Amino acid sequence: MADSGILNVVLYLPVLAIAAIVALPARREDLVRAVTLLAMLAQLALTALLYLRFDPAFDGLQFETRLPWIVSWGVYYQIGLDGYNLLLVLLTAFLGPLVVAGAFTAIQKDVKLFYAMICALQFAMMGTFVAQDLFLFYLFWETMLIPLFLIIGIWGGERRIYATLKFVLYTAFGSILMLAAVIYFVYSLETTTGITSFAFADLYHAQLPLNVQTILLAAFALSFAIKVPIVPLHTWLPDAHVEAPTAGSVILAGVLLKMGTYGFMKLAFPLFPDAARLLAPIFGTLAVVSIIYGACLALVQTDIKKVIAYSSISHLGYVMLGLVSLDLIGVQGAVMQMVSHGLVAGGLFLMVGMIYERCHTRELSAYGGLAKLLPLYSVFFGLLTLAAIGLPTTSGFTGEFLVLLGAFRAAWPQYVAGAGYPLFLSASAVAGVVLGALYMLWFAQRFLFGGAKAPHQPLVDLNLREKVILAAIMAAVFALGLFPDEPLHKTELAARQYRELVAAAPRGAPAARKSDATVAAAAEAAASPSASGEAR
Amino acid sequence: MNWVYVVVAMLPENFVLTGILALVACEAAGPLRRQTAMAISLLAVGLAAAAALWLAVSGYELAAFNGHYSVDPTSQIAKAIVLGLALPTVLVAGRETAERGFSVLLLSSLYGACLLLSSDSFLTLFLGLELMSLPVYALILVAFNRAESAEGALKYLVLGGTATATLPMGVSLLYGWSDSVALSAFAEAVRSTDTIAVAGVVLVLLAFLLKAAVVPFHTWAPDAYEGATMPVTAYMATIVKAAVLLAAVRLFGAAPVGRPLADVLAILPLASIVWGNLTAMRQTSFRRMIGYSSIAHAGYLFYAFLGEGRFQAVAFYVLAYGLMNLLAFASLPRTADGVPEDRLDELRGLFRRQPYAALAVGVAMLSLAGIPPLPGFVAKFLIFKNVFAAGFTIYAVLGLVGSYLGIYFYLRVIQYLFMSPESADEAAVRAPARLALGASLICLLVAVLIGVFPGWVIERL
Repeated sequence: MADSGILNVVLYLPVLAIAAIVALPARREDLVRAVTLLAMLAQLALTALLYLRFDPAFDGLQFETRLPWIVSWGVYYQIGLDGYNLLLVLLTAFLGPLVVAGAFTAIQKDVKLFYAMICALQFAMMGTFVAQDLFLFYLFWETMLIPLFLIIGIWGGERRIYATLKFVLYTAFGSILMLAAVIYFVYSLETTTGITSFAFADLYHAQLPLNVQTILLAAFALSFAIKVPIVPLHTWLPDAHVEAPTAGSVILAGVLLKMGTYGFMKLAFPLFPDAARLLAPIFGTLAVVSIIYGACLALVQTDIKKVIAYSSISHLGYVMLGLVSLDLIGVQGAVMQMVSHGLVAGGLFLMVGMIYERCHTRELSAYGGLAKLLPLYSVFFGLLTLAAIGLPTTSGFTGEFLVLLGAFRAAWPQYVAGAGYPLFLSASAVAGVVLGALYMLWFAQRFLFGGAKAPHQPLVDLNLREKVILAAIMAAVFALGLFPDEPLHKTELAARQYRELVAAAPRGAPAARKSDATVAAAAEAAASPSASGEAR
Repeated sequence: MNWVYVVVAMLPENFVLTGILALVACEAAGPLRRQTAMAISLLAVGLAAAAALWLAVSGYELAAFNGHYSVDPTSQIAKAIVLGLALPTVLVAGRETAERGFSVLLLSSLYGACLLLSSDSFLTLFLGLELMSLPVYALILVAFNRAESAEGALKYLVLGGTATATLPMGVSLLYGWSDSVALSAFAEAVRSTDTIAVAGVVLVLLAFLLKAAVVPFHTWAPDAYEGATMPVTAYMATIVKAAVLLAAVRLFGAAPVGRPLADVLAILPLASIVWGNLTAMRQTSFRRMIGYSSIAHAGYLFYAFLGEGRFQAVAFYVLAYGLMNLLAFASLPRTADGVPEDRLDELRGLFRRQPYAALAVGVAMLSLAGIPPLPGFVAKFLIFKNVFAAGFTIYAVLGLVGSYLGIYFYLRVIQYLFMSPESADEAAVRAPARLALGASLICLLVAVLIGVFPGWVIERL
């Protein structure tokens, strides 16, 4: 009980911070910054506490709160942690203080509103992850749009209005179709089963015909795919990233994009498993296309932010590939890749912000040989580059390696059975790794090495605040790279559940519905090719 | 029947009537002072709203005047919503309340709305509808120093007059068909396939579509909204619309809507949603934009008639929608001569000068756009949920996609408020009047409460 209270405090701390910020006088900008940072640090500390107390062996929601909210619709205020959202909640809480501290000097205009909006965004993102009720999830999901709309639109670059409207109109279009699907889903369930509930746990038991599942999955997937983003729905991302202020970019890359993949993992695929298996080749293809297309585009960018923006598309393709592989290792790799990308891309965007504050340009050609001008900066940048490539001992390696391993493990038996396409996809994804190394190393070479040049010389190397921010990120990157076992252990049960939910025999089959034991057995049978080597 | 019961049943109407009489008496005694007019109007409307709420809570039921008028909790809740929304309108009006019979006209119109919401026969329905509309034609002309206001009033009068003509026409057909002027005849006729009955239903419906400004009967709305002064626009956009829709719910009752009529009731509102949202994008006047937005919202509201639970859906929607419109109107800054600002351009960079006003207008816009967690979202959800539950999946999806079209122009206002550099003549824009600010705070507070506890409200409707 006390622990579920902590989760609520974690969720509502940013709201309290907003109240405090509003109450502070506008002149005391330093106080506004301090209050926000304190709130974020407190949130991180409490989230870390919850992480430590999280029981990996417990099947179900932990730290759960369930209160009636709109009773006649079957809507409950239900939040809780499970293996699905645990790491993402921790990631969100971890990036919170870094974003706030990273914006200390960059944001000088409308400081109060800025930090209030950062807090509002943090609240909405946390809420999206911890919500265990579809209505609540949608509420938080949509709420996120408003603060980010303002953050990009007010503190963004030159084309900020265009970028922010594009971002909101893209995502809102996906959301509106998802809303239609949510309502249709819940109320078709009501007519067939008599139960009106938005709780995820109840919705997983839905038994819808395949054609309905396919349409609903398409609507959910459209919304999530725009957020991820999956090629060809990605065009809003480079604009939003480039025009957003550093804080916006970090949150976008660090947390927001994971909302999409989290949505696929927690909702779209498990809710409509038959359709998910039917459409898996399409999602797999799009994932691989995203990996390669994103990497190719990253190769030719001249704007530093765009390089990282396109690399995000590529990296999130791995997450999708891991999720559709339906292999335990692949799914766990996808979870790791989500966290890893959040740290690495978030860190890179922070670093771009730091150099932008010093030189006021993001043109790659304006820079060169920063290793001589800013040695410490270059060390951190080099390390993050290596993490982005996925070098062993960094978190990027854990994620990408596990995803590819899982994808091959799932594809090989199918290849033996005569279906070569999954193997082709997995092999193509490996090409993405090579391309990834190519664009990141080439980028780092032009940026860090060669003849020393940069606008606005002489440059001052990292100050203490920046050092602390980057050191924290590097520590997390290496922790996940060197000791992936601990987080993987905590999320293993969820990964198994996800696989069982999606890979289970068709829901319509009456035999599979008798008891949980038979469901599990059916799941094992359906997934038998990959179930053999599950020992971890 | 004891006349005391009737007086009690008509308490809301009686309070409004007393207010009218008091205002007339004061005006006869000497020039009406602003404070007096304001106090009397507020008191009358406030007491009437409280009385309606009390009658609703105590479950008072009475049928009076030989089946022409009845009181039940549902009708009282409807009255309470309409009268409650009128309170901030009076506050927004501020110094206008003392001008040229403004208060008397406003209260007369409210009396009509109350009568309309308790009507049980077509006679009282017609009486109520006209008593509500006629003062509004005059209210638009209160600002007759502007040419547009005469144009707007005339358009409204002519088109409103058409509704006045089609309604009795339809009623007479229904009377010929069913030998009754009771409202229940309409619900019966909806189920019938008889040509006379269908024609009667269509003509009556036409009047309501016209009054609610649904495409293709919408053309009067933007002009009338733009021509009127800000409080009158607020009154038309919220209270008149709410009363018309709630009366339509009373008219339809619980009668299920059959196929040909359902298509009419889906396609016209759908056209309204799409057209209203698309045209609103191009407006440069705040009032015109709200005019087109109200056309779109009339579309959502008529969607509610496809499903069940109509009263709940419509009542919650008009409450959320009315509060948000009033919030926006109350928070708008004033120009140098004290009139609320109407040009969208002038709202540029408002946040830097008047943060509260900008935030309040922003919240109102987001809620009107149906973006959670604001009450507009729950209201829209409720309507579309009912449409889905009734099996009109395609129409529901199309309606939702139509509502997506509306997001852009609401966001554009927010873009002006927060993201644009300040407008050139910044000295021209002053803070809203203190009373209007009070009204906006009340609206904001109620809206936040509804947003946090929507279930509590919905279950009591």
